[in-house]
Amino acid sequence: MTLLEVSELKTWFETPAGTVKAVDGVSFSLAKGEIIGLVGESGSGKSITGFSILGLVDPPGKVVGGSIRFNGEDLRAASEERLRALRGDRIAMIFQDPMMTLNPVLSIGTQMVETVQAHRRMSRADARAKARDALGRVGIPRPEERLDAYPHEFSGGMRQRVAIATALLHEPDLIIADEPTTALDVTIQSQILSEVQGLAAEMGMGLIWISHDLGVVAGLADRIAVMYAGRIVEEGPRDDVLDAPRHPYTSGLVASAPIANERGKPLRQIRGSAPSALHRPEGCAFRPRCDHAGDLCLNDVPETCATPRRWRCFYPMGSS
Amino acid sequence: MTDILAAAEGVSKRFRHTPDFAERLAIRLGAAAEPATVHALDGVDLHIHRGEVVGLVGESGCGKSTLGRVIAGMLQPSEGRITRQGQDIRALRGADARKMRLATQIIFQDPMSSLNPRKRVSEIIGEAPRVHGLIPRREVRAEVGKLLATVGLDPTMADRYPHQFSGGQRQRIGIARALAVNPDFLICDESIAALDVSIQAQVINLFMDLRRQFNLTLLFISHDLSVVRHISDRVVIMYLGRVVEISPADTVFDAPRHPYTAALLEEIPRLDRRGRRFTAIKGEIPSPVNPPSGCHFHPRCPHAFDRCRLERPALKQVGAGQDVACHLNDGNGLIDTPSRQGE
Repeated sequence: MTLLEVSELKTWFETPAGTVKAVDGVSFSLAKGEIIGLVGESGSGKSITGFSILGLVDPPGKVVGGSIRFNGEDLRAASEERLRALRGDRIAMIFQDPMMTLNPVLSIGTQMVETVQAHRRMSRADARAKARDALGRVGIPRPEERLDAYPHEFSGGMRQRVAIATALLHEPDLIIADEPTTALDVTIQSQILSEVQGLAAEMGMGLIWISHDLGVVAGLADRIAVMYAGRIVEEGPRDDVLDAPRHPYTSGLVASAPIANERGKPLRQIRGSAPSALHRPEGCAFRPRCDHAGDLCLNDVPETCATPRRWRCFYPMGSS
Repeated sequence: MTDILAAAEGVSKRFRHTPDFAERLAIRLGAAAEPATVHALDGVDLHIHRGEVVGLVGESGCGKSTLGRVIAGMLQPSEGRITRQGQDIRALRGADARKMRLATQIIFQDPMSSLNPRKRVSEIIGEAPRVHGLIPRREVRAEVGKLLATVGLDPTMADRYPHQFSGGQRQRIGIARALAVNPDFLICDESIAALDVSIQAQVINLFMDLRRQFNLTLLFISHDLSVVRHISDRVVIMYLGRVVEISPADTVFDAPRHPYTAALLEEIPRLDRRGRRFTAIKGEIPSPVNPPSGCHFHPRCPHAFDRCRLERPALKQVGAGQDVACHLNDGNGLIDTPSRQGE
């Protein structure tokens, strides 16, 4: 069953220097219980895609086109009141920096009880019990005591657990996770991934995992969508995308990973750097960095669909 | 080859916050606690041979950056000594000390905060060789152009300011600045961590080129074990201020002999590890203010026994070029690594 259907989403920022098309025609869908990895480099529009779904884009940014359907409901047409009722209840978000979600001057118990009571009519004691259970579920020892602690009394990894516990309070249908483990150490990242993976499977949530790290996504996601310059350039089942990428950008990313190269030999690299969002090249935005570019690439690239995969490239890899 | 370029011998570094007058008063009156001491480095021995690339890996708080700075002479060790070509760097004076400092250069993580935003690139790169009299003033411009070309930047960009460059280009400027004084030893402190994935590969390739071209010795500090394995000859793993394992880079993935190395290997995200069930090592990284007794890793170690809680394991050679600090190696020398169990 389709949980989320995003189609032709466009989120643009009007700036004095011109229009920044941060998200420029992004489409994807997510089924219940499915994990999609949204991969891209800084400025590719992956985080803005997440914010747009939740209606959290601040001016001068604006969703200017496309549709977002969540459980069949059109979120772009939804009132602010309706969105507020959905956020934190049916859809939750986890950010890279947990201090973005946590108020430093309130104990985490107070904050979690507030989140529970914002969506449910419930006594304080019951709400507190619910918060305690949520902390226990994400592996925080002595949850009853920790409810009275303040965010600064937790380590970075523990804070991220608190943010995840808060996101899970109402067992949402959809979680949008924006680089939640990027700032964490390897062993702590692994702990968080392990918790999230277990909980997602247990509760049948849909999960959008936004990351720059293909390795994390390879371990976690069912499907992978690769973003470049505001668009999804390739999307498909995890193994297909990683083993036989069709877009030269995906192919370049996979080939440049140290593990894919012989030790001590030069890494296969993608030349150049990502274009500024204000001055994107005509046609395919990846053209100036691409080894396979041809005459057609000056035109706007349509999407090629070969279910279950799709890509945006005139000269895809793996076809001579 | 036993030509040792730089060495740390029994180096410890403790940081202690010096209380100001009000705090001293509060302590005297019993209203505040004595300031805590951070044990950043605890008896580290490391030899770096001329021409080799040593990778230094560990998680936050393990002391890898502190060790880099102590070796560079930017921080004084609390105990032990740093030698450069066999000479204690603290004993060097005058011209010798200056020469040593110029020969060792550091490249930092964030090129934006290590480049002066008000200076043009030509000044950033040209200042040090001019001030130290390495090149005459009128040749500075040509030299800057040559250095920019060396690191893969267009020499005509010499009159721009750092903010006019992308992150990857800024890091190249930082590298050109380091090369300007003809160092023989580069310390790269998380030099690629802030870069985008497609740019990381470019900068790693640049480091490998420069190493060959200028016959450099590199101490490559990173939290990313797969990058370190790729470019290093030897890999040094640190945990909470101590070296736990030193291993040749080509075998570090195959035969880890310290449980922490094994855990790190198990948990680095890799493209070839698909749809895995993440299983994490338990516990948090302890605080270096109050590290655990005995082996610092024992509270998180699946193999810990009584001796680990009491006695610090010494770094001992267990194989060709492989040194490990773990009591398990005193037995049959074999640990069941999680990676072997999982496969």
